[in-house]
Formats: sequence, C-alpha cells, structure tokens
Amino acid sequence: MLQLNSIDIKKQRKFVLVWGITFLIVFPLLITLGLLMRLNQGEEIQLGMDRFYTLMTLHGLGMAGVLYSMAFAALWYLIGTRHTKLNLGLGYFVYFVVLLGVIGLAYATLIGKFGAGWYLLYPLPFKGTNWPAWSTGLSIVSLILLGVAWIIGILHVVYALAKEYGGLTNLLGWQYLGKKNVQRELPPIVMITTISLVPGLIAYLAGAVFLFMNLFQHFEPALSFDALLLKNLAFFFGHTLVNITLYCCIGWVYALLPEFTGREWKTNKVLVYSWNATFVFILFAYFHHLYMDFAQPLALQYAGQFASYLSAIPATAITMFGVITQLYHSKIKWGIIPLTFLIGVAGWAIGGFSAVVDSTIAINKVLHNTLWVPAHFHTYMLTGVVLFIFGFLFYLSHTKEEQEKDKTAKIGFWLFVIGAHCFIATFYTGGMNSIPRRYADYKGIPINSTHTTGALLAQIAAICIGLLLIGLFIMYGSIFNKLRKGKNIPMVPSTNT
Amino acid sequence: MPVKTSDIIFILTILVMSWLISFPMNEWFSETMPRHQILQLPAMLVLGIISGVRFSKHIIIGFAWGIAILIFILSSLIFWMLPHSIDYAVINTPFNRLMHVNMLISGFLLIPVLRNTLSEIKIIFLGMLSAMVIATGFTLLSYNLLLCSSFNIEQQKEAGLQLVIIGLTVFASTIFIFFRGAGRS
Repeated sequence: MLQLNSIDIKKQRKFVLVWGITFLIVFPLLITLGLLMRLNQGEEIQLGMDRFYTLMTLHGLGMAGVLYSMAFAALWYLIGTRHTKLNLGLGYFVYFVVLLGVIGLAYATLIGKFGAGWYLLYPLPFKGTNWPAWSTGLSIVSLILLGVAWIIGILHVVYALAKEYGGLTNLLGWQYLGKKNVQRELPPIVMITTISLVPGLIAYLAGAVFLFMNLFQHFEPALSFDALLLKNLAFFFGHTLVNITLYCCIGWVYALLPEFTGREWKTNKVLVYSWNATFVFILFAYFHHLYMDFAQPLALQYAGQFASYLSAIPATAITMFGVITQLYHSKIKWGIIPLTFLIGVAGWAIGGFSAVVDSTIAINKVLHNTLWVPAHFHTYMLTGVVLFIFGFLFYLSHTKEEQEKDKTAKIGFWLFVIGAHCFIATFYTGGMNSIPRRYADYKGIPINSTHTTGALLAQIAAICIGLLLIGLFIMYGSIFNKLRKGKNIPMVPSTNT
Repeated sequence: MPVKTSDIIFILTILVMSWLISFPMNEWFSETMPRHQILQLPAMLVLGIISGVRFSKHIIIGFAWGIAILIFILSSLIFWMLPHSIDYAVINTPFNRLMHVNMLISGFLLIPVLRNTLSEIKIIFLGMLSAMVIATGFTLLSYNLLLCSSFNIEQQKEAGLQLVIIGLTVFASTIFIFFRGAGRS
C-alpha cells in the first residue's frame, strides 16, 4: 500500500474537494435545465423549440461531462492516496482544461443557441440550423478540449498504475489466471480502474476522429460525410464514456464498502474473468444504439445485442453477488455512506436491466424512440452514479461516526431517492405509453391520449424533480456543515489493499 | 561555441533536400494527391524533426509554451489537410512553399517540446495526430465528389485510404509505446 504523508493526503483531498464543489455547483443548475424542459413538455411554461433544444443539448452534454469528471476525480483521489502517486499539477491542469471546455459549451449553447443534442447527430449541427456557425465551431472545439483533458487524466492514472504494478497485464489481473502464486495482491479498484479507462482511450480516438470530421465540416461547408459512419463514431465514444463513468464508481464501491462491513473484498479468478469479459464487450455494445439505422450491416446489429448482454451480465452479476456477500450478516451500521452505495448499486442494476431490455432487438423496435430510453439512462445515472458520488462526498466530509449519526443527511437522501425514482417512473410510464422522446412538447401529436398522457407525466415529473432538489439541498447542507467544521484526515484506509 | 564541420554538412544536406522537395521535385509531388499529401508534406515534417533532433538539445521549452507549440503544430496540420488548402497549395506554388516552411518549423519545434514534456502529453499528441489523420482519410474516402480540383476522384480515394491506414498505424504504435513505457518500472 502506498505510504503518503499527511501533507500529501491533504493536498489530494483539497484537489478532489475542488472537483467536488464544482460538481455541487454545476449539478443543480443542470437539473434545473431538465426541470424547465419537463415544465415545457407539461405545457406549464413556453420555452419555444429553439430554447428547448438548446437546454437539452447543454443538459445532456453537461451531465455526461460533469458526472464523468467527478467520477474520475474521486477515482483519482482513491488511487492517488492508496495505490500510486499521482501528479497533482497535472490534475489541476486537467481541471482547468475541463473548466475551459465547460465554459465554451455553456457559451455556445446559452448565448450561441447551439441545439444539436448531445451527440451532434450529423448533419444536424450544420444543415438548416437556427444558430450561428460560430456556436457549432465553439461547441466542437470545447468538446475537443474536454476530450483532451480527460485523456490526459486517464493516461496519467493508467501510466502510474502500470508502473506501480509492473505492466498492463498485471493491472488486468492476468497473473491470477496462471498456476503460480500471486506475488502481489491486486486491489479490485485498480483492476476496475484499468478496465474502465483503457477502453476509454480507444473510444476517445473515435470521439476525436468524430470531432475532427465535424471540425473539417465546419471549415469546409461543402463537405458531406457518411452520416452512418459519424453516428457509429459518436456512439462508440458516447456509450463508452457513460459506461466507464459507471465503472469508475463501481471501482470505489469495491474499495470503500469493505471499510463499513469489515470484510475483505479481494481480487480472484472469477472477478478477473468477469471484468475482463466486460473489458472486451464494452467496446461492441454500442451497436444497440443503431438498431433503427437500416443501412447498418445486419451482423453488427446482432453483435450489438450479444455484446450488450455479455458486457452487462458478468460485471453486474459478480458485483451484485459481491455486495450481497459483503453485507450478509455483516452487522453493518447503516450510515449514509453504505446506504448511498447500496441504493446506488440498486439503481445501477435497475438501470442496467432496463438498458439490456432496450438492447433486445425485438423490444427496441417498439421502445427505441420513446421515453423508455431517457428512463434507463436516468436510472443508472441519477440513482446510480449520482448516489455513488454523494457517497464519496459524504466519505470526504464525514467521519465514520458522523456518517452513522447524521439524520439530516439521511432525510435528504431518502427525499432524493424517492423524488428520483418517481421522476424516473414517469419516464418509464411514458415509454410504456409510446410517448416519444426528444419532443419539445406534445401539442403537435394528433393522438389525443398520447398528447395528454405525455403532458400529464411531464407535470408529475416536474413535481418529482422539485422533491429531489429539496433532498439534494438537504444533503448539501449536511456536507457543507461538516466541511465547514473541518475534517482533515480521511477515514481508515481500505481493508482490501 | 565553435561551429563543427559536421553541423555545416548536416545543415547543407537538410537545405539541399528541402530545396529538392520544394523546387525541382515540386511538380512531381503535385501531380497526384497521394504524393502531395502522403509524401511531400510528411517529408518536410520529417526534415524538420531530424533537424530538431540534432540542434535542439539545448533548447528548453517550458510546459505552457510546449502546450502552445503543440497546439500550433496540430492547427498547422489541420490547416494543411483541409481540401481548400490542399487545392490552393497545388495551384499556387508560393502557398505550397509556405506549407513546406510551416512543416519544417513544426518538425523542428516538435522535438524540444516532446523532450521536455510529460509522457502523457506526448501520448496525447500522438493520439490526436492519429485521430486527425484518420479523420482526413475518412473525409477523402467517404466523399464521392471531387474535393480538390487539381486531382481526380481515384487519387482522392487512394489518398484517403492511405491516410486511414497511416492514422491507425500511428494510433497502434502510440498504444504500444504507451504500454511498453508503462510496463517499465
């Protein structure tokens, strides 16, 4: 285990707090954009189509970016204080480049009214737009900046870990597959970090190619690309980014949950096989986003379904089983941190299950363009990733005893969880009732029941968002209260290292 | 510092090669798109890199300036890969020579920057370079209309395919270099 002095730990803690506070500022602002969109769909306010799609773009890009960044920052902290030394200067460089990218995106959308949606479906950003060309250019450059910053961060973490553990194969846990005794224990968080981040490097290449092609198009409007190729590149990048965000979070559940159950969570053959399977299949699962593209080769559509099943099942099943064995008869005290992890894992599993349902071709034919899609990704993001992040922030701000006794945090937590699940339920119900997604409002739908159901569900969703915001701010109060009082040293290190 | 004879010979060789590429052989290079994009442009960059390897040992470039120079190099490459720029460079010889000078300087500056920067920055530079080359390749390959009036569609497709292959090779090498370097403790 890495031995750091208290000054280095404090510096790392300060760094992750900078990320944490940025997250806490940006996150509710992005939720508010979602609230405005649902109010518009519920016909409570009139945003107009242009503004709706602008907000949708910023909400999508912003949430994906901020959740990934925070997940990565937390992983950075846990790796950097326990397993290998990480360069804080580089960490701050990544932070400022990300900040620059976010400011660029906010300017391009809020001022420039860029509204092509999070994945810039080609040729939407260029053809028949109602926003100026500079906002498209600024969005692309901002996304390139974000990509560059994230890759630098990933490279640094993987590079440092590979040096510490003697190469990539050791990081992937392959030493556990041979007959020889393992010389040095590999903490699960290290293996999961590698399995999350290395596919990220490959996906970022696709993202960079996609963004450069968009940049060429921006400079040379006469160009015309193969729209299917660009969609493949965009989803390869986007799908992988979202998945690695989740896996980063799962990594710290493996690291932190044992501190509360008092049981070790070690790497073994089964864990290595299951996560290595995920490592391969994660790269091919994105094909399920293109089922509606009839020009996509049929074999890839089948590959999409198989890879979706195979990438989801091993890691999820093994993690679920691991969580159960951690908790069963463990006499755990249900403080706010293990609670967020448990309910977060549940959110991950429920969202993952509905994603697998949607990745089934026969079902996707019905659900693809409905609210089922935002339902599933809001499930694993809002009730998975966000809860994991809050668990981590409580871990930073509270001592072990404080987190057990903090009733305010628990009240906020339950309000948030109830609000979030009710909010998501309106999406699922919408999906089951064929309410289309990506509609600014439902006024133009000639089927009256679809129009009224869609608007009603949006109104209910807005109330749920209000509830989850109240819960969120109560949790904020608890975190800031403890941070203000000051807690210098993090809790006991992981038992599984 | 006394100037060594070997240095003078080296400079002269680089100058002669640059002159050959930029003047007598310019017409040959400009005849087809693959020659122009895959031979002439990289050749000038490589000459710059070779010069940088020899003469930039004492040049120390700070981190921030290094990043700025890498952005300059990548922006230069983007600019010279745009179909308009390619077209104009073939039609207008002085403009083509501006590309040659730009590539020479870029290559020269690349070495001291990479020598003094973090491994992560080196890898990301190579990664972004490969992404850019692949993107240009796809642009040329997937567009069925002639992008550069100076060439023909077959040359455009051929250049596109070769760029995609080069880009993927650079990316694979980048990954290999990264993990080989990472494996050494």
